[in-house]
Amino acid sequence: MLPEEEGRRFSINDNADLLGEILGRLDGRSLATAACVCRLWSAVGRREGVWESVCHRHARPCGDECGVATRAVVAALGGYRRLYRLCIGPALDRLADGGRVPLSLSLSLFSIDCYERLGVGAAAGAAAGGRQQQTPASLLFLCKPVDVS
Amino acid sequence: MKREHQEAAGGGDRRGGEGNWYVAAEQEKGKALMGTDDGVDELLAALGYKVRSSDMADVAQKLEQLEMAMGSSAAANDDALLAHLAFDTVHYNPSDLSNWVDNILSELNAPPPLPQPPPPPPPDDPLSLQFDLPPAVTEQYTIGTVDLPDGSPCKPADVDELQPEASTASSGWLISQSGHQPEVAMSLRDRKRLKVCSSPPSSTITADAATAAAAQQVVIVDSQEAGIRLVHALMACAEAVQKENLKAAGAIVKQISVLAASQGGAMRKVAGYFAEALARRIYRPQPPRGMGCSSTVESAALDDMLHHHFYESCPYLKFAHFTANQAILEAFAGFRRVHVVDFGMRQGLQWPALLQALALRQGGPPSFRLTGIGPPQPDNSDALQEVGWKLAQLAKTIRVDFRYRGFVAASLADLDPYMLLGPEADGGGVEDDEPEVVAVNSILELHRLLARPGALEKVLGTIRAVRPVIVTVVEQEANHNGRAFLDRFTEALHYYSTMFDSLEGGASPPAAVEVGGHDQAMAEIYLGRQIYNVVACEGAERTERHETLPQWRARMSRAGFDSVPIGSNAFKQASMLLALFSGGEGYRVEENDGCLTLGWHTRPLIATSAWRAAGDPLSTSASCRTASS
Repeated sequence: MLPEEEGRRFSINDNADLLGEILGRLDGRSLATAACVCRLWSAVGRREGVWESVCHRHARPCGDECGVATRAVVAALGGYRRLYRLCIGPALDRLADGGRVPLSLSLSLFSIDCYERLGVGAAAGAAAGGRQQQTPASLLFLCKPVDVS
Repeated sequence: MKREHQEAAGGGDRRGGEGNWYVAAEQEKGKALMGTDDGVDELLAALGYKVRSSDMADVAQKLEQLEMAMGSSAAANDDALLAHLAFDTVHYNPSDLSNWVDNILSELNAPPPLPQPPPPPPPDDPLSLQFDLPPAVTEQYTIGTVDLPDGSPCKPADVDELQPEASTASSGWLISQSGHQPEVAMSLRDRKRLKVCSSPPSSTITADAATAAAAQQVVIVDSQEAGIRLVHALMACAEAVQKENLKAAGAIVKQISVLAASQGGAMRKVAGYFAEALARRIYRPQPPRGMGCSSTVESAALDDMLHHHFYESCPYLKFAHFTANQAILEAFAGFRRVHVVDFGMRQGLQWPALLQALALRQGGPPSFRLTGIGPPQPDNSDALQEVGWKLAQLAKTIRVDFRYRGFVAASLADLDPYMLLGPEADGGGVEDDEPEVVAVNSILELHRLLARPGALEKVLGTIRAVRPVIVTVVEQEANHNGRAFLDRFTEALHYYSTMFDSLEGGASPPAAVEVGGHDQAMAEIYLGRQIYNVVACEGAERTERHETLPQWRARMSRAGFDSVPIGSNAFKQASMLLALFSGGEGYRVEENDGCLTLGWHTRPLIATSAWRAAGDPLSTSASCRTASS
């Protein structure tokens, strides 16, 4: 923005919270792209609150899953950004704009993935005697490449 | 249409030596585009052949089929067929092409089926099976009417023994005995893969279309024909085994391997596993322990790994977990202390989702106790404890009060109720305020108990003694526990073929991650072990004694359990889960009188049901609370 115009126009970068509100209305891919624009956008684009809006916009809650408890659980399992990346995003791709993904289902899949990762990290440290390491793969069925032809 | 004419003509060119007039007719047909007046094609009439224009397409197709059959026999270095056709067959009126071709074709295969085919099985027969070729996949096998040109070629004397029995009606097939020409039949055996026909023949073959069978096309070209022969050979071998005719069976088993090699995809793998199991059964009636027959201690770790890959690669286990969890969640509504007993703990993949759902339920999470039961481990590593520890970690992050206890038991029948109820010392005086409700969960575990008489009844009694508010049972939807070997074999063939088809249908594209591709192979091995157990083992070692939902319903009600209908939430969740699986168009979730089944196309493969002890005041009041809340 040119300095002489500062007083007249509003820049989207002026207020980070407002920027967050705006970015929270994007879909996942666009938000991820937006986070590549500049450092400010990257910082705002990583906020859990922003991704929470995105998740709730694209996933259908059944019940009172917008509450505080949900936030706590999702944070414990790895956060909304991760939830979108691992579960909601691929599911939306798979459903091919057939609708929204139920949030409860996404949370279940997310918890299974988190559980599998627990094992990997811990067992590597504890060197569980010769037992096979399982790389977390329970969500691979979502992430398999989709033919985009 | 024109394309197939040209290909037929091209094919005719390649084997110029056989029946020149026949080749010439095909070439001419290739040039004849449209029919002309009075119904007879004039170009062909100029050559001396009378073919009606309306029949042209039909005749072209039959000529092509004839060429296939002759072509395959030529490749099989067998001149018997050609000699037969050239010298022994009486040709009437070859200028009437369409009838002549019909005659030749029918002579190549068999005389038509017996005038009184067995009545088609009733439509609501659970064992009557319909196989349609899904449009997208061409490699799937089909079971349909099979004429019997090939008996056991090495033993003509035994062909009579292979008379089909009336029991084939139970499998929904139509197998008809024919007047046999063994030497002709031998020449038709496929040694190599047949040339793929350019125009797909009518490929929908329904097993119970008995009336269509009588007028059915006689030759089915390309790999479908080999597929049908393969299936037929498997059945013949099983029949021989049932009759203790091990020599004949051994001869057929060798052919099965050859036939299987000509197939692709699911059919080849299934046939391979069945052939191997049959071979073991024939050549080694008492297989030594540890050959994959029973889940011995050594193979427990392998079992777990295969089970895990099976979990990843197809939705059956996920479906089981999600539906059971939903039923348990609904049954636990309103209670502050809950206890789940899991009869097959393995990696504990079912429980993170339940923990998360409990954490988010209305009113906050309850106190959750989990008792996991598992088989003894070979290297004394405490797999159960590891799993419990992981779950505890997860529960801690999501703030659910969690307690865990693992039990090692070689068989579920070794359990006693007091073990499951657990030490009452935990919690002390809290006992009186908050009743602890129990849910029992059994995923693919109960059928093993049928191998030992009385074991299932004991376990069901133990379950009752624990007074659970809900018992979730997931079992394979198939009857692999029939008394007769042939019945079991037939059922298993259909069931596992459908399973393998679904694995193929849901398979990831070749560019997928290695782990993804790996999964499918491991899942196939997992199923292969089950196949081996069903076919090759007997007695106490045959633990894969699957039974159908009606059979389980009868057993549970005899043991004093009432059915709890699984709600629509579970149905919706399961449907959504399946929509997420690539290749998920083939999967079907169905509701069956309160139970949910997941199947591939029309065939249910796994069923979830929920139960509670009949007449138990605690569980009855609990379910009333659930209903009203």
